[in-house]
Amino acid sequence: MNQLAENSLETRNVHVAFGGIHALSGVDITIKTGMVQGLIGPNGAGKTTLVNVLSGFQKPTRGHVVLNGKDVSGDGPQKLARAGVGRSFQAARLFQDMSVEQNLMTAAIGTGLNKADAIIRSREILDWMGLGHHGAVLGGALSYGDERRISIARALALHPKFLLLDEPASGMNAEESQNLMSIIRAIPAHFNCGVLLIEHNMEVIMGVCEHVYVVDGGRSLANGTPREVQDNPDVRRAYLGEEDAAA
Amino acid sequence: MSNATTTPYQSFLSRHFAVLLIAACLVFIVCLVHLFGSVMVQRVVIEALIRIVIVVGIYIFTGNSGIISFGSVTFMAIAAYATGWQTCCEMLKPITMSGLPSILRDNSYPVYVSALTSVSLAALAAFVVGLILMRLGGLAASISTLAILFILNVSYSNWETVTMGTASMVGLPTYITPWIALGAALIAVVCAWVFQNSARGILLRATRADEVAAAACGVSLYWSRLIAWTLSGAVMGLAGVLTAHFLGTVSINSYFLNLTFLALAMLVVGGMKSLSGAVVGVVVVSTIVDMFRRLEAGVSLGDTTLSLPAGTQELVLAGVMIVILMFRKDGLMGGKEFCLPKRWAAVRSESVTSERNAQ
Repeated sequence: MNQLAENSLETRNVHVAFGGIHALSGVDITIKTGMVQGLIGPNGAGKTTLVNVLSGFQKPTRGHVVLNGKDVSGDGPQKLARAGVGRSFQAARLFQDMSVEQNLMTAAIGTGLNKADAIIRSREILDWMGLGHHGAVLGGALSYGDERRISIARALALHPKFLLLDEPASGMNAEESQNLMSIIRAIPAHFNCGVLLIEHNMEVIMGVCEHVYVVDGGRSLANGTPREVQDNPDVRRAYLGEEDAAA
Repeated sequence: MSNATTTPYQSFLSRHFAVLLIAACLVFIVCLVHLFGSVMVQRVVIEALIRIVIVVGIYIFTGNSGIISFGSVTFMAIAAYATGWQTCCEMLKPITMSGLPSILRDNSYPVYVSALTSVSLAALAAFVVGLILMRLGGLAASISTLAILFILNVSYSNWETVTMGTASMVGLPTYITPWIALGAALIAVVCAWVFQNSARGILLRATRADEVAAAACGVSLYWSRLIAWTLSGAVMGLAGVLTAHFLGTVSINSYFLNLTFLALAMLVVGGMKSLSGAVVGVVVVSTIVDMFRRLEAGVSLGDTTLSLPAGTQELVLAGVMIVILMFRKDGLMGGKEFCLPKRWAAVRSESVTSERNAQ
């Protein structure tokens, strides 16, 4: 088994069809530990479907999901979460009537920790993210920005090897967005994991990611460094439209 | 940080205030009744304590999982009949329940042994049923629990050589005092509290809040629900034993829809998302039911007796439920537990030191 396969989460020629609609058609991506990678694409490109496939919420119609060299295509979300695939959602989806600390504890206990160790892990993560003062607050009583940050903290409480963040900065103002990005940039080194960041905001992607995948219409369009992707005419066309790109 | 000044005692009190308050109130009431209550009042209190066991038993599963169980009363019936078979009159059993195996038909057992075995049987039955039902979620799970209640009712109603069909099994020893009922209520309340604050309880409440997010946290719905369902079955079994030995009779019609909906009404009125709500619901609904039951029976005022028409208690209870659901859809407690006033409470809900000491 090569080094890449042992520290990666991959999709190989993944297809997903909902009836006659092909949401994904032969997408290949590889998420590596130790870095932040980006996944971009226009609305309806298949980004969230791809995250659902990677996290076990959506079974591929064809193709494979490979975690550390092992085919996990048939595994459900619980199994993949325990195997080290953490994710956040477009909506924060916090447990509203549980405290922030209990939100994180749920993920920590889900990985097999006992309650006391789960409390310790939860507090460490909250403190690291500068959210320690929110521990006793109910999930339903948080501001929008805090909700989104806590949802990332909860995914981190799994101590994931791969963290999938689905538009974590959406709806945030510029300052909140910058703060969040500095946290996301620090995650791979602190947690020894890989991050896949799904984001519409190109500035955010360019500022944080070392490698970017682009999907459009359910197909892989391009991948490379942020600069390479930005200069790719196909990507410009997908984002800006044929005529604007030519201009 | 503020919690640096929190003593372990304060932290313990803060974390367990709800269950300590409930226990203290129950003990206080039983002490009062023991010292000053008439036999009639004692019976009312015993009934209320048994209802607490029933509603808390349902709460353990329904409150934590969010799945309304219409079938929990099944396990009361199983335990009530089991303790009846073990303790009722040896002379009658060969005649009225000739189909019982000889080990039950020809022998009687001490009441505490029968209580233990009956509760265990209820827990085992819940576990076996749960192995199948807990794979279901939402409304499907709720309706399937109702199906279990119907299956048991029809089976026991027609199994005449063992259960006496729809006739009442009589002659059970009646040993339930207010203190025994209090002990059982405290066991039920503490079991519910320990479970809801355990790791499994936290996971189950997460699935109640958001199944998808819980799955992303690695939470297995099945095992979390099965454990709660089995524990709930055991507590319902305890309630069945209490009821059987309080009344001295067992009849299958006592463990059917009336009891199911009365218990669920109590849970809804108090608020099904908290243990405090479950207990408050029992107190409020029991008060309404008992008050109007007496008014229906008639109250003497000098030479005249005033009485309300039969069925008033049900109408009033239904009205109260509608009003509560209109203005407080999460019940009287709104899903919250009793808690210490803020100035006494610890800032952080749980102390790592205390957790470690508790283990």
